[in-house]
Amino acid sequence: MIEIGRVCIKIAGREAGKKCAVVDVIDDNYVLIDGDVRRKRCNVKHLEPLEEVIKIEKNASHDAVISELKKLGVDVKEKKAKEKKEKPKRVKKTAEAKEEKPKKKVKEKKEKKAEEKKAVKAKKK
Amino acid sequence: MQRRLRSRSFRRVYVKTPGGDVVIHYKKRKPKSAHCGKCGAVLKGVPRELPYKLGKLAKTERRPERPYGGVLCSGCMRALFIKEARGK
Repeated sequence: MIEIGRVCIKIAGREAGKKCAVVDVIDDNYVLIDGDVRRKRCNVKHLEPLEEVIKIEKNASHDAVISELKKLGVDVKEKKAKEKKEKPKRVKKTAEAKEEKPKKKVKEKKEKKAEEKKAVKAKKK
Repeated sequence: MQRRLRSRSFRRVYVKTPGGDVVIHYKKRKPKSAHCGKCGAVLKGVPRELPYKLGKLAKTERRPERPYGGVLCSGCMRALFIKEARGK
């Protein structure tokens, strides 16, 4: 039932419900699979064999498996490499930018408070 | 104790304070654990927490990363896909 080229559906794990083909039979329990899934070793118990068999060699490449699967009408999602976005570079603050900070307000407030206190004290006297 | 906290709809959590006292904290009860939609078994890998705490978790921490994760148990999911494949 399970031989090289057999199309299967994965029934366990994150790739459950996706179609794949057997690429190599490792032993009684394990096979190497490829297709709409990650190319990896898989337990036979986690596969449900289908009627179709594709013509591929032992240890066929990922592209070869995909091209054969596409003939059967299996949608294979191809991975796209993410485009690198340039991060905005950090600009060191110049001396001018530092001067622009409104630090003066705090000083003014403090001075105002001090003046008020003085006025209150003077009144008390 | 506040009167409203006397109700048993709050659960009591015993907390040991830094001073060595044991105080009681009254907290809301946790919701029922998640169950499989088909067979009713308790789902593994789905935390039993209040919604506001689940919101703090990452999406991958909230349910298993597979089709029907957090809805069906793994056995029922397999049975579903096998049924689909065999067309019976």
